[in-house]
Amino acid sequence: MGLTVETYASAAEAARALAAAQDARYLGGGTLVMRAVNYGDQSFRRILRATDPALGRIAAQGGRISVGAGVTMAEITESRELGFLAPAARAVGGPAIRSMATVGGNLFAAHPYGDLAAALLALDGRAVLADGREQALDELFAARGRGQQPLVTAVTIARPERGAFRFRKVSRVKPKGVSVMSIAAWLPRSGGRIAGARVAYGAMGPTPRRVPRVEQALEGRTLDAAGVQAAVAAAAEGLDPPEDAIASAWYRRAVAPVHLRRLLLEEDG
Amino acid sequence: MSSQTRVELRKDLFADERDDNLNEIGRPTARQDILGHVTGRSPFFDDHQFDGLLHMRCVRSPHHHARIRRIDIAAAERMPGVRRIILGRDVPHNLNTLLSLIDFGRDDEPLLATGKVSYVGEAVAAVIAETERQARDAVAAVRVDWEVLPHVLDPEEALAPGAPIVNETWPRNVFEYHDKYTHQKLRFGDVERAFARPDVEIVEGRYQMSPIEQAPTETCGAIAAPETNGRYVCHTSTQALFFSLGTTAKLLDMPSSRLHFIGGTVGGGFGGKVDSLHEPLAVLGAILTGAPVKYIWDRAEEMQVGAPRGAERWYLKDAVTRDGRIVARRFRGYFDCGAYTRLSSYAVQKATGHLPGPYTIENVSSDVYCVFTNRTPATAMRGFGITGVDFAIECHMDKVAERVGLDPIELRILNAYRDGDMKAHRRLAKNTALIECCQVAAEKAGWPIRPEFAAMSSLTGGGGDRAAIPETVTDEEGRVDGTPAARPAPRPAAPAPAPAPATASTSARPAAPATRPAAPPATPPAAPPVAPPVSAPAPAAAPAERPQERPAQKPYQPQEPFTRGVKKPGAHRFSSLSGTRRR
Ligand SMILES: Cc1cc2nc3c(=O)[nH]c(=O)nc-3n(C[C@H](O)[C@H](O)[C@H](O)COP(=O)(O)OP(=O)(O)OC[C@H]3O[C@@H](n4cnc5c(N)ncnc54)[C@H](O)[C@@H]3O)c2cc1C
Repeated sequence: MGLTVETYASAAEAARALAAAQDARYLGGGTLVMRAVNYGDQSFRRILRATDPALGRIAAQGGRISVGAGVTMAEITESRELGFLAPAARAVGGPAIRSMATVGGNLFAAHPYGDLAAALLALDGRAVLADGREQALDELFAARGRGQQPLVTAVTIARPERGAFRFRKVSRVKPKGVSVMSIAAWLPRSGGRIAGARVAYGAMGPTPRRVPRVEQALEGRTLDAAGVQAAVAAAAEGLDPPEDAIASAWYRRAVAPVHLRRLLLEEDG
Repeated sequence: MSSQTRVELRKDLFADERDDNLNEIGRPTARQDILGHVTGRSPFFDDHQFDGLLHMRCVRSPHHHARIRRIDIAAAERMPGVRRIILGRDVPHNLNTLLSLIDFGRDDEPLLATGKVSYVGEAVAAVIAETERQARDAVAAVRVDWEVLPHVLDPEEALAPGAPIVNETWPRNVFEYHDKYTHQKLRFGDVERAFARPDVEIVEGRYQMSPIEQAPTETCGAIAAPETNGRYVCHTSTQALFFSLGTTAKLLDMPSSRLHFIGGTVGGGFGGKVDSLHEPLAVLGAILTGAPVKYIWDRAEEMQVGAPRGAERWYLKDAVTRDGRIVARRFRGYFDCGAYTRLSSYAVQKATGHLPGPYTIENVSSDVYCVFTNRTPATAMRGFGITGVDFAIECHMDKVAERVGLDPIELRILNAYRDGDMKAHRRLAKNTALIECCQVAAEKAGWPIRPEFAAMSSLTGGGGDRAAIPETVTDEEGRVDGTPAARPAPRPAAPAPAPAPATASTSARPAAPATRPAAPPATPPAAPPVAPPVSAPAPAAAPAERPQERPAQKPYQPQEPFTRGVKKPGAHRFSSLSGTRRR
C-alpha cells in the first residue's frame, strides 16, 4: 500500500479532488500530515497539494485583511500588514515548525494546537472556501471532524484598531511548549469603554472557541481592576476543557481567570 | 574553550584524605567522543547500511491487562512486502528475567506475550517487511481477539486483597525477597520504643514520585544480520553490550559464540538502554528471514513502551527530640515495577542500603515492597533506586525542621552522619562530608547558621557510642513460605498507626513489636563488623544480631533449565554488581 502525492495547479482543482476522495489528505505545510505519514497513519493513502500562488497571498480588502491558507507562521511574523498577529504566529512551535506551519493547517490542528486559530477567531475570522463561499470560523470549527473537511483557500480577518488586540499563550515550557490555554481578545473601545469585544480561547475545548459570557461581561466596561472583575469571574463559566498530559481540566479552569485578568490588565501595547 | 572556571576546590577540607592529583576536576576537558559528535561522524547503530535491510515493527496491546484469545495474522501475512510475522511460539526460550544473568529473581517476562498481556504496549507479534511503512500497514492488519481483564495501576491497590494478579510468576503482586518475604526489610534498633518516648515529637509524611522517562535522543534499536559460519552480527544502541548478548543467547537458546555484538556509540542511555528487548528480536528476525533486520522504536514507543524510572511512594515517620535529634525513623516504601521485574528488585535493595539517608539515627526500620502493577515495566535510571527515597527524605527533613522550629540546614548538620558512625545497614561510615557540604552551601547562599554549627566537622564526634549496633528487634511479618520463623519468639504486635498494606499472605501489617525480646541477643558494640574489602553495601536483610552472617540465599532457579546466556549459573554473585567503595 504505497502513498501517492498529487499536485494541482489551482486550489479549485485540489478542492474538487479532495471532495471526491475518501482516502486523501490535503497537505498544507505538512507539520502534522507528515508526522502522520511517519507513524503509518492508516486513514489516508493519497496526499493532495496545490501550488496555487493565491494560497500564499496577504492582501487588504476594505477594512479587512485576507490571509492565504498557505501563508506560514514565519511569513506572518515578517509581514508589516499583520504586525498585530505576529505574537500569535510566534507562539506556534519553534522556528523550524513556523517556517512550514500554515494558517490553513492551524485551523484543523487538533487540541492542544490551534493557537493562531484562536486569534483569527477573535478577529472575526471567516474562512474562504475554494468555491468562493465564506464560512464564519466558529461554524467551520463546529463542523470539524464531521465528514470530509473543505479546502480553505484564505481567512479574512478584521483589522483591529491600534492596541485593541491582545494575545497570550500559557504554556509550561517556554518557548515552544504546547498550550495550557491561549487567549485572544479584540477589545474595541469607544470613549474609553469596551464596545463589541470578541474573546476566544485555544486549548480550552476540542477546538478554539469564543467565550460569550466574558464578552458580555466586558461590554461597556473600562480596562481596570474594577471594570474587568465580572469578566474575570466569568472566565471559566460553562467550560469543559480537555484533560491531557499538560494540564487537567480542573487546572485549566482554575488558571483561566488568572490569565484572562493579566491579559485584560496589561499595558496597552 | 574558555579556561575560566567557576569550580572552587576546597582543599582545606579533608586535606589529609585526598591526594592532590586532580587532573580533570576544575579544568576544561574534552569528552572522549565529542569530536565525533560535533563533526557528525560518531557511528550510531542506525548508521550501518545493509543491502536488502528488512524492517520490524511490533503488534502491541492496547489494553492494560487482557487475555489473548487469538492472534490472526492471515491477512497481514499476505500484504505486500511482508516477509515474516513472529509470534511468541517462535521464540526458543520465551521467558526471562534480566537479572537471571547474575542469579537474581525468577523468569517472569516473555519476549513476545502469548497467554496474556499485562501493560499497554506489550508486544504480541513482530512483523518483518521490506519497508517500514509496509511493516506498519501489516501491523495494523493483524487482528487480536482480546479478553479484557481487570487491571491495577497503583502499587498499594495491587497489594489489597482481591487485586488482579498482574504476573503469574509473582502471585502476591510482589517480588519475593530471599524467597522468604513480601518485601525487603531493614531493622536497626527499635523504632517503636523510640516512638513511645515521652520526650519526642512524631513527624510523619507521605511522598511520591511519578515514573520518569529517560528520553534519549536516539530511540532504542538494533540491526542484526547473518554473518558467515552461522554467526549473527548485531549493531545495537545498548548501553550494556554483554548483558544484551547474554540475554539474547538465553532467549534464543544459542551459544553466545554465534553472536557478534557491536555497540559503541549510545545516543543517550541514562539507564533506558539496558533492557535488551531489541537485540533478541532483531537477531531472531535475521535467523528466520536470512536477511538483515532492523528493529527500532519510534518516539511514541520510546515513551509508552520504553521502561522508565519507576514510580515510588514512601511513608516516613520520625521521632524527634525537642533539640532536633532524630532518634527514630521508619520507612514504608513501594516501588512500582510495572508488569515485570526487570531491574526494580535490585533498585529496592539499593534504596534500602541507602537508608536512613546521610544521617545517624539510632533506630531505623524499613519495609520496601517491589510491587507489580499493569504499568510499563520500570528499569534503571540515574541515581537508580536512590533518587525517589532521597527526595522523600529531604522533603521530610524540611518538614521536621519546620515542626521543631529549627533551621533546616542546622537540622541536617545536627543529624548528619560522621566518620566512624554505624550505618543502618551495618557498615561504618567513612569519608562522610555532609556537614561540610551544608556549611559551604550555607556560606555560598549567604544563609546564616549559628557559630556552633559552622564549627562542626564530620571528622570529629563520630564513632564511639555511635559506632555501636543497637539491640535490634526483628519480626517475621510478610513471611511467604509459611515455615516457622527461625529465631525470634512471637511477640505481641503494636497497632499499626499508618494505613496498612494488606498482602495475600498477611491480613494486616503488624508494626515492629513494641515489647523487647525477653532475652535480647548480645550485641558487640566494641567490635563492629568490618566491611569486606570490595563488596558494596549488601542487601540489608541480614539479621541484626549477627551482622556478619547472611541468610543463605537459595540459588537462582529458572522455571525451565537453560544453558545459554550464562556461562555457569551461579558464577557471578549479585553483590558484584555494585562496584567498589570509596577509599
Ligand atoms: C513540534 C511541533 C510543535 C507544534 N507547536 C504548535 C503550537 O505551539 N501551536 C499550534 O497551534 N500548533 C502547533 N503545532 C501544530 C502544527 O504545526 C500547527 O498547527 C500548524 O499550523 C499546522 O499547519 P500545517 O500547514 O503544517 O498543517 P498540515 O500538517 O499540512 O495539515 C494539518 C491538517 O490541516 C489540513 N489542512 C491543511 N491546510 C488546509 C487547508 N488549506 N484547507 C483545509 N484543510 C487543510 C490537513 O489536511 C491536515 O488535516 C506543532 C506541531 C509540531 C510538530
